[in-house]
Amino acid sequence: MTPPLFASLAKLPTLWFQTPIASIALTLAAYFLGVRVFKLLGRPNWCPAMLIAALFIAAVIALLPVGIDDYKTGAAWLMLLLGPATVALAVPLYQQLGQIRALWKPIVMTLPLSATLAACYALVIAWAMGAPLNVLASLAPKSVTSPIALSLTEELGGSTALLMGSLMLTGLTAIFAVEWLCRLMAIRDHRLIGLALGINGHALGTVRAFEISHQAGAFASLGMSLTGVFTAIVLPVAWHLLF
Amino acid sequence: MQVLRGFLWLLAGLLFGQSVVPWLPVALPAGVVGMLALTLVFALRGGIDADVAAVSQPLIGMLALLIMPGVVEIFFVAGRFADQAGAILVALLVGTLASVASTLWLLKQCLPAEPAARDVEEAT
Repeated sequence: MTPPLFASLAKLPTLWFQTPIASIALTLAAYFLGVRVFKLLGRPNWCPAMLIAALFIAAVIALLPVGIDDYKTGAAWLMLLLGPATVALAVPLYQQLGQIRALWKPIVMTLPLSATLAACYALVIAWAMGAPLNVLASLAPKSVTSPIALSLTEELGGSTALLMGSLMLTGLTAIFAVEWLCRLMAIRDHRLIGLALGINGHALGTVRAFEISHQAGAFASLGMSLTGVFTAIVLPVAWHLLF
Repeated sequence: MQVLRGFLWLLAGLLFGQSVVPWLPVALPAGVVGMLALTLVFALRGGIDADVAAVSQPLIGMLALLIMPGVVEIFFVAGRFADQAGAILVALLVGTLASVASTLWLLKQCLPAEPAARDVEEAT
């Protein structure tokens, strides 16, 4: 027979996850652990702190007698901050308004095409490899910032879990690709690097751009916002015309 | 106090976005509408509010943390997409690589050169 003390201890995780506190604490602890391990590994581009942290959270949930839904319900309180954080991007956007005004023509010429290609390449490849419609709907907004991408994938009938995984993989690939291709193409302009990171790598690319320089970060915010707005307008219309 | 005042500004921007979104012809997130509205407010006032500046930097730094809870779920539902894993991975990896290459090429062709371009490696 299980002693009463052990029985009570075994019930603790279920008790903790009845309020959002445990989910928030687990997320924050995983984040700091992820950052520490990331630094210890020598800051590898292929394994960002967020991936380490997400794996740690998944492992803890798998070990505890709680489900992913219990965690998600609590963590939703933390994800609420995504709204104010998106509004906060107004600061770097305003700071680069002069540059943006000066460059509006090339931005208008390149951004819609880049944003369209970001979705089209993946869709065409997945479609050619026989992916069903719900998978295509989860991949279509892969380069868009998560608040927009979530509402888009729900509208198109995709899986939000697959979308979030796609967002992470796209963000990581975009960061790696921008740094590798910039070296290859001898690109050193921080505005260009920032725009490419924002257009293709959404918030993850933008965070990376801010690590490069404030200017790259501001252009990444611009690229991310305009890609989001453009995709939110065009994708549902194009989707309903095609499928 | 400054951070709280700044946070209130951001919440006001978000509430504004939520109020405007139902009237828009496309389903834009309230956050994006709020961001554009706040940029317009800064432009009209001729500068950034110090309170907003104080709260925005740490919040932007937290973006990756805020996305993380959504990412965790994929580890639990990945099995559902096992038969499509090849198509998904190739589409994401090759598709993103191709789109980054196209973006960089397009921007390089269209963006006028910056007078004092700096090296990426300098800052990294």
